[in-house]
Amino acid sequence: MENNGIALRKPVKILDGIPMLIICIVICIALYILGITKTFSNNTMRYLLKIFLYITMGEMWNLMSGFTGMTSLGQQVFVGIAGYSVAVFTSTFKMSMWLGLLVGAVIGVVFALLLSLILFRMRGMYFAVATWLIAEAVRLWFNSWRFVKQGAGMTIATSQIPKVRELYIYALTLCIIALVVVYILLRTKTGLGLTAMRDDADASSSVGVNIFKSKLLCYLICSLFIALAGGMFALQKGSVLPSSSFSIDWTVAMVFIVIIGGVGTMAGPILGGIVYVILSEFLAHFPGWSNIILGAIAILVIIFLPDGIIGTLQKKLNFEIFSQKRLSEPKKVKGLKEKANMA
Amino acid sequence: MGNILTFDHIDAGYGRVQILHDLSFSVEEGEVFGVIGPNGCGKTTMFNALIGLIVPNHGTITFNGHNITKMKPDARCHLGIGRTYQVPRPFEGMSVYENVLVAAVHGANHNEKTGRQVALDALKLTELYDKREIRAGELTLLDRKRLEIARALGTEPKLLLLDEVAAGLTEAEVQDVIKMVKNLKAAGYSIIWIEHVIQTMVEATDHLMCMSEGHELLIGEPRPVMDSKEVEEVYLGVEEEDEEDE
Ligand SMILES: Nc1ncnc2c1ncn2[C@@H]1O[C@H](COP(=O)(O)OP(=O)(O)OP(=O)(O)O)[C@@H](O)[C@H]1O
Ligand SMILES: [Mg+2]
Repeated sequence: MENNGIALRKPVKILDGIPMLIICIVICIALYILGITKTFSNNTMRYLLKIFLYITMGEMWNLMSGFTGMTSLGQQVFVGIAGYSVAVFTSTFKMSMWLGLLVGAVIGVVFALLLSLILFRMRGMYFAVATWLIAEAVRLWFNSWRFVKQGAGMTIATSQIPKVRELYIYALTLCIIALVVVYILLRTKTGLGLTAMRDDADASSSVGVNIFKSKLLCYLICSLFIALAGGMFALQKGSVLPSSSFSIDWTVAMVFIVIIGGVGTMAGPILGGIVYVILSEFLAHFPGWSNIILGAIAILVIIFLPDGIIGTLQKKLNFEIFSQKRLSEPKKVKGLKEKANMA
Repeated sequence: MGNILTFDHIDAGYGRVQILHDLSFSVEEGEVFGVIGPNGCGKTTMFNALIGLIVPNHGTITFNGHNITKMKPDARCHLGIGRTYQVPRPFEGMSVYENVLVAAVHGANHNEKTGRQVALDALKLTELYDKREIRAGELTLLDRKRLEIARALGTEPKLLLLDEVAAGLTEAEVQDVIKMVKNLKAAGYSIIWIEHVIQTMVEATDHLMCMSEGHELLIGEPRPVMDSKEVEEVYLGVEEEDEEDE
């Protein structure tokens, strides 16, 4: 009976392929056009660019924690480094914000490479705590570093701050690139291994998945994109401070976004990012309460929807968006067969 | 034929708890090497040390001419060691087919196109072909055990490690497993097979090792080992203890 039940289950519907691609391209083009033609108000674009940057960060944190199991609580360190890099290059050196962003990203990746030497010896809780301690140490260091004006923080040279519309375009572009990178990565050989690691790291290593290489790759990609997103957040705010640029709130936001949307799915952080920005704008009216309410929502989701909103919907309704699923029969062949059968 | 695997005075365990004590044995190329021993004597731990989930504190493991004592699990897999887990550990969120595809692509260095055929062959051999698109997390225990074997075969190993694949099966199913192991042996695999079902060990193995408290107690032809006094004592000892417990 049980076996029959399984055999009769409908196969998972995969929302992918040409129609999905067209929908995505249309949405992206529409977002570009609406931004360039000033159809969106500045306020709307400010919301949207935040959403794009948070989606980027959430997607990256998901890649690290959701797939490789490295639950970092210290990704804010890359937000801070890139923000400060932008500030130093524009204010102190009077150079372009692009150079600041680029250098910030490079320093972020090199720093991540160095950290990996220590961090990759640890697992689970130890890894999480170590990443957080490192981020705190860097924050304290910036707090007392004369060159970056210690605890007083720095402002970004106003001449270098892009208009909201420009920043909107940059953030949208970064978000699209991040999504495409994750999408393609999950479809490579490495991505197949990552999906296996997500489910059982030890078992994946015993069938030949190189855990170290996969972890390193994800950590570097994650650090790069979080640095770029962090640099753009600094441009949007116009200033950097040790206490806010290196605040653990950044990572808390990423965790929230991933949990709400669904760990280990690509669509999850997209929804999570949207929900997070809307919620936090709304909760800004209740200062002091916002973190408590966000935390309560996250706990409720963990208890009642452990797969997140997207993850639960996918399981309940038996479909997958942006699925990295490999089918045993290539799609085209299946289509032809069905047609042949019908004839 | 030469030895494909040698354990040379291995001490190993989990953290500070030492489970394997001075364990030595060799497996000949192309043979089925059976392993028995009372519960908790360290059979599964021996597999963990062999595939690299734990690293021995002392001794050397040689596989096919390579010293693999300190190698990472993925490197050992590439050399040709494929294992099944006693408690199945499928990649639950992936389909049955994808589970085996991972093994073919990462373990045997195929690309996804050539790996596909390897995976499908392994699924046919283990009678999972019709269930290939089901999520592995939805399989019954018996099918999970089959998937363990399919996944190990997907890595195209030289040495196949079977950990109690026949436990809990019906008489007829046990016969199927024996037939499968004999076929695999005929196809050229070397096999280490841990099992409590006596019948499988006598029928299908070339050599049999009985372990006791992390050490090899006796190694030899299956029948004489089974009938020996030492082995009887180890098992009797355990049974008496169990009775006292009750
Ligand atoms: N991950 C672990 N951490 C600590 N101790 C463990 C771990 N796994 C097993 N052990 C202990 O190691 C000892 C040997 O266990 P092992 O699983 O190797 O026995 P076994 O011979 O395979 O037994 P069985 O026939 O029941 O499968 C047991 O005492 C067990 O409690
Ligand atoms: Mg065992």
